[in-house]
Amino acid sequence: MTRVLTAAAVLLLVAVFAMGVYLQVLRRNERQRAQSVPDTRPISAPVVGPPSRVTLYLAYDDPGVVRAQDVTVALPEDPALRGREILHVLLGEYVKRPSSHELPAGADVTDVYLVNGNMAVVDMTPAFADGHRSGILVETLTVASLVKTLTANLPGVTKVKILVDGKERETLAGHADLEGFYDVVALEPLLEQLQ
Amino acid sequence: MVILLLMVFLAGAQSPQRARETAPAPEEKQLSVYGPRVSYFLPVSERNGQDYVALLEALEPFGNVSAGVDGQKWKLHFGKLEAEFRRKASAGKVAGKKFELPAPFLLEGDRGLVPLRALPAILGRMLGTKTDYHEAARRLFLGGAGTHFTTDPRENEVILNFTAPVNPLISTEPGKLKMTFTRDPVVAGSYVLRLENPLVSSVTFAESNGRGELTLLGRLPLLAQFAPGGKTIDIVAAPRQAQSFPPSTPPSPPAGAPPEAAPATVETPPVTVPAPPTLQSLTAKPPFVVMLDAGHGGDDPGALLSETLEEKAVTLAFARRLRNELQTRGVSVVMARDADVTVPVEQRAAMADAERVAIFVSLHAAAEGRGVRVYSAMINSATPTPGGFVPWETAQAGQVLTSRALADLVKVELARHEIPTAELPAPLQPLNNVAAAAIAVEILPSGNDVGSVNAGVYQQRVAAAVAEGIAVGRPRVEAQR
Repeated sequence: MTRVLTAAAVLLLVAVFAMGVYLQVLRRNERQRAQSVPDTRPISAPVVGPPSRVTLYLAYDDPGVVRAQDVTVALPEDPALRGREILHVLLGEYVKRPSSHELPAGADVTDVYLVNGNMAVVDMTPAFADGHRSGILVETLTVASLVKTLTANLPGVTKVKILVDGKERETLAGHADLEGFYDVVALEPLLEQLQ
Repeated sequence: MVILLLMVFLAGAQSPQRARETAPAPEEKQLSVYGPRVSYFLPVSERNGQDYVALLEALEPFGNVSAGVDGQKWKLHFGKLEAEFRRKASAGKVAGKKFELPAPFLLEGDRGLVPLRALPAILGRMLGTKTDYHEAARRLFLGGAGTHFTTDPRENEVILNFTAPVNPLISTEPGKLKMTFTRDPVVAGSYVLRLENPLVSSVTFAESNGRGELTLLGRLPLLAQFAPGGKTIDIVAAPRQAQSFPPSTPPSPPAGAPPEAAPATVETPPVTVPAPPTLQSLTAKPPFVVMLDAGHGGDDPGALLSETLEEKAVTLAFARRLRNELQTRGVSVVMARDADVTVPVEQRAAMADAERVAIFVSLHAAAEGRGVRVYSAMINSATPTPGGFVPWETAQAGQVLTSRALADLVKVELARHEIPTAELPAPLQPLNNVAAAAIAVEILPSGNDVGSVNAGVYQQRVAAAVAEGIAVGRPRVEAQR
């Protein structure tokens, strides 16, 4: 009888251990699956328009520079929608893998609002900031790339304000200021250094 | 005799900055190592109730040294010599011979930690030199290093003669003048000298936490004068007109009030509560103080530099080293944080503005890149409006040109110390809100190993270069205030 009980206890322990291992495997697989599947949910209705030539200012982590690159994309007439589409294309370069300046999956622009013709308010997805790498240079590269790309392609816009999920945020990921407005004139000395 | 160092007074009240500087959390443990040609600090870590130090960092100042992990073994190469230890083992090999440790060897990542008590013997064997370890004070003297001094009391002065040039930090408390020797291997055993002197009643030397401290108890306000060459310090009575330091003017008595009695004796220290600010004191040029802002802290860990290394820990350790380096250059320092506590970013700028500091240095760390990056605010410059209000969002605008000039000087000093460096503007919080010269220093690894960003010797080298840049830039900053 004692032998039977001992065997049953051992079997139960083995079963518990095996289930624990199996659970870990399931969790790991699920984690890998979540990471490998890009977030392809549309965040806004697609826009249509004639092909236009725009300049993207792409950030490169190594060696820490921002470089201009011309691309042709279909853009609507409305300036705010154009701004959103241009940033959408720019961020698309960063969420793909490999990328010169990786941003987390789901990093995208939700909306661009133009105020008084010279100010753009950009609303970003939560993933843009929540999953952003932390560091002065890496955050600065993101901000410089966004602001320069937007102001270079929307004539008259000289100031940019970045919101995250419709709200003001203190910093992007602990360093870059998101409370103030970005002035294109103040940005120029930085871009010269980042050439 | 030429006066080379700041005057300090027994009668002067402590400035609010200094009072706050001494208040926070317990001091970080450190070991000072003094050799014939090099002196340096090592951070001491406590593990399982024992003090430990990183062996690689202890040997780095003496030449090419490398270390690597091989399974459970950690091997260190120093020239032709080797040391080998096993994780959690209390015995290993040093220079080909068996070596017993008083506590187990620890391996954290690829950093090998040895018990502090074993370090003197290990260094002695690896360097082939005799060692003298002052265990209670954590001061290690190699190869007979040591600076001695004599006290020569005279009628109107007390002369301290040292056997080598010294550069102590001078500080004061009511009734005391204190000289703190951090880099100088000053030794005197347990030294207490009572004097029948009209100026100084006693001279005491003591050691603690890697430093030597010489304390003079005074009967009058004292002034320390350095002779050329740095081997002689002359202690004299401070001139009376200079006793108003810090520069604040006491409020005038109300009409009809009896005039204040003159101080009865000079031995009675004045009240240490600072006088309320007056218009005159607010418009007077405040003392030159540097605020060190160790980035992040508390709930905000900053960037995760490796699996176990958070940015907040690196910035705090670096800030403490930079504070020492600045103080040895005669610069007063106030810390935005001196412990692992949460301090909102805006509060750091508000503290700097309220204290009217001369320079604000924000300290950060990153894992990508090599060397050091120096940043200034990304803001358009504007002409300061003397006496006018300064908008919070653009408080830096009137100072940004000075900040950039300072960043340039720090960059030059880093390059002179052969540390790879870059300088650029950045939209870093809270630089725009600081109404003083403001820069950020981001320390990066020295090589491929991310952990090197937290290595004591490397941080010390960077801190020395940054402090030198600030010292060189001081006249320019002073001229703009």
